[in-house]
Amino acid sequence: MNNIFIDVDYHQIYKHGQKIGGDVFLLSRNPDSNQIVCTLSDGLGSGVKANVLASLTAHMAHKLSFSPISLSHSAEIIMNTLPVCKERKISYSTFTIADIHYQENMSGINVRLVEYDNPLSLRFSGSGKISWQREKNELQRKNAFKKEIVQYSSFNMEIGERLIMFSDGVAQAGLGKSLPLGWRNSGVEAFVSDLIEKEPDISSRELSAAIVQKANSLDGMASKDDITAVVVYIRRPRKTVIVTGPPFSKESDEILGEKIRAFDGRKIVSGGTTALIVSRLFNKKISVDLSCWAPDVPPASKMDGIDLVTEGMLTLSQVANVLEKRIPVASLPNTPVKKFVEILLDSDQIHFIVGTKINEAHQDPNIPVEIGIRRTIVGRLRAALENIYLKETSQEYL
Amino acid sequence: MKKEKVQVKICVGTACFVQGGSDLLLYNDFVDPAVIAQCEIEGCSCLEACKVNGEGAPYVTINGEVHAKVTQEEFARLLSEAVKNA
Repeated sequence: MNNIFIDVDYHQIYKHGQKIGGDVFLLSRNPDSNQIVCTLSDGLGSGVKANVLASLTAHMAHKLSFSPISLSHSAEIIMNTLPVCKERKISYSTFTIADIHYQENMSGINVRLVEYDNPLSLRFSGSGKISWQREKNELQRKNAFKKEIVQYSSFNMEIGERLIMFSDGVAQAGLGKSLPLGWRNSGVEAFVSDLIEKEPDISSRELSAAIVQKANSLDGMASKDDITAVVVYIRRPRKTVIVTGPPFSKESDEILGEKIRAFDGRKIVSGGTTALIVSRLFNKKISVDLSCWAPDVPPASKMDGIDLVTEGMLTLSQVANVLEKRIPVASLPNTPVKKFVEILLDSDQIHFIVGTKINEAHQDPNIPVEIGIRRTIVGRLRAALENIYLKETSQEYL
Repeated sequence: MKKEKVQVKICVGTACFVQGGSDLLLYNDFVDPAVIAQCEIEGCSCLEACKVNGEGAPYVTINGEVHAKVTQEEFARLLSEAVKNA
């Protein structure tokens, strides 16, 4: 698995009182061509008309970015297709396209950025702002009262860098209310820089939400325009290993210990016998936390060096149920399942080490509940994590 | 002289938990509080008793001695006996 992760997320609220918005954000990951395309488009006005125009623009930009046509040519095609408003003599929608390419091993991340009439994007390395050169292209269209300026730029992004794109709802937040000229790019920049300083590892999801919420509060909690913020963050992936089941032969116990010790990330041990093996190998005491359990979920335990120790099959099948049914974490009761799901959703790459020894105690026909097969449950977990939550997973048998 | 507390371990491994171990964890509801005060009760991820003699889950150890197929009544009785003998 890769050692670099491109974290892209956005947050959006519509103009106060609107059920549909004129800001449209599209994101596609195409692992086959090592490409991620983000498109943010803002249609003139708000409501249905703006949404139709912005969707049209965003989809065009998106499709063209995945085609072999050069970005400048794509931008021209879009510009010529965009209708120009009869009264205002300006085009109906604006766009920002970030076309991100990376090498097989995630190194050499190159971004090609095309910006047309949206507020200019910002770049940060840590909390420090990065300035870069943009190439301006003028385009004269029929019926338009001025030449249009499309700005192109291309740059590489390193670990710890962020690219932030937003619609004019952000830059103009507070206009005429709390701020005479609105929040403006400089205000957004100062806010983001402050926030990153306080929370250097803030995720794209949290940062974009923070920007949008601040903009909304500047508008007096009644947004005057659609507000959208997009964050692209290059960072190390958050990794988690899940160890479940004792190894097939006793000789492999030591290998298991070595793998857990060497793993750089969070560690979950799921299974009573497995926990005993790990505790023996690490010479650490397990203490069962009897305050946190439910009739269908046995209690979790604590062990130094392991983030979560749970019972095996019952807990895992409950976790799989929660993931498959997309139950929100906040609505779960305080059981080991909740802690388990929280760790999974907060990870980018999840590795399973599955022990293949058969547990004789589970073969007892008197057991009142059905205990699944470990491999099947791990399969269900992986499918849900990959398909629903877009996580990378891997597994090995021991 | 202060009396040593009775050491109690309840297995919460999968097989024990589903065959009655979860009922034993509700010990506050059916064991005399005076008895509980004399015991140190903790959970254990697996006592590995099922693999040795296989008498039947759930397993509990009281001062190191393994008891199999422990019900709530049995658990309350075993604890008060152990406290009396301590």
